[in-house]
Amino acid sequence: MDQDILTSTEVAQYITEGKTLLLAGEEKLLAGLPRGRWIGGTIPYFITPKEGGMATREKIFVTDISPMAASVQIKSYTQDDLGTVYGEEQADCSFIIIPAMTGVHSAFALNAPNYKDFGARPLVGWISGVHLEDLGKATPKVFNGETGEMIDQAAIVMHVALPPGKTLDVGIVNIFEQREGDTLTFPEDGFSCREVAVNGVKESFVDYIERQKLDTKLPLVADYYGALINTSFQSADQATGEVKFYAPVFTGVRYKHAKEVADYASAFTAQLQKIGLAEGSVVFSCNCILNYLYSGLEGRNTAPFVGPITFGEIAYQLLNQTLVYLQVHDI
Amino acid sequence: MDVPAKNKQQWADIVTGKKTYDLKFLAAKILLGRLVRTISANPTPTNVREGVDQLHALYEKNSSAPSVQLDLKNIFG
Repeated sequence: MDQDILTSTEVAQYITEGKTLLLAGEEKLLAGLPRGRWIGGTIPYFITPKEGGMATREKIFVTDISPMAASVQIKSYTQDDLGTVYGEEQADCSFIIIPAMTGVHSAFALNAPNYKDFGARPLVGWISGVHLEDLGKATPKVFNGETGEMIDQAAIVMHVALPPGKTLDVGIVNIFEQREGDTLTFPEDGFSCREVAVNGVKESFVDYIERQKLDTKLPLVADYYGALINTSFQSADQATGEVKFYAPVFTGVRYKHAKEVADYASAFTAQLQKIGLAEGSVVFSCNCILNYLYSGLEGRNTAPFVGPITFGEIAYQLLNQTLVYLQVHDI
Repeated sequence: MDVPAKNKQQWADIVTGKKTYDLKFLAAKILLGRLVRTISANPTPTNVREGVDQLHALYEKNSSAPSVQLDLKNIFG
């Protein structure tokens, strides 16, 4: 078992056996687990090995990283010290979970690319969330399994030292591509905006979206030296003129709206073939709630990838509508 | 393959955008997305040197990763 969905009793057994675990599930389930070598975040949506995409409040998704974790250090970071997350010299990689819609979420989203020693070691993880029926009623949480703390205003990080002879690679699967046409730039970094420059000419972004009939289920896509990085729309409010995003737009970055995707499964398969994964090398993966919803992943399989569904994915920085994975290789 | 020294011309060519490579190492692509934009707009010797320092450090700290090794072969042969 490397990644699977289990009952609380089964997870408690793994913890008691001393396994090193990344957990995702409902707050009440995670809060009831024994202390041990684990971190966790709230979310009730998953891609499971047997049933594909599913929502459940009764089980916990488990990623067992014991074989790759010679030693671990679990540490929480507030938005004030998260900038040091890449500076843990003893670690070979770090797993991070951040509660959604918090100051630490915003701080990471805006600042991670400029953190000291950015990318010095792989940093992967996710933004924890809540059941969509509970939006506004419950808040996302993260857990430090070692201390039993439930946290709602800080990130939890597991720094991992690998056994000798192992190395890692972080990858993403993004089914979206830039469409031909207008280049969009923004005057300020942020999770929202009113104004956009369309091919250098400023105008109201809400008006542009309306006039072009942009499908806001499709993200904005920026090209980072060949890596296509999405920024997903949260809302476009005609009354206030404000457009909100699930990740920040950055000034100076050139965005284009994504091309239509006819079918997630076939686009996903095409991307997988490009990547050419070594069998059995993936130890962690997670996918976005927007892919789950917009692409109808409930009951569908995304093999070889399983894992928690998230309110944002982390591969060195915050991503949207993207699958993130971590591979372990022998040197 | 060891990470070639910082004074190799290819490092400066990458951060200034003079040469573009099809890279595999995700962290380098994210970093270069920002570096190339800022340095190509103002390619002073200091900016180029600082950019090369950042990129070189990134590759050195991740030198055992398969994607890094593929990039080094691609860039330096």
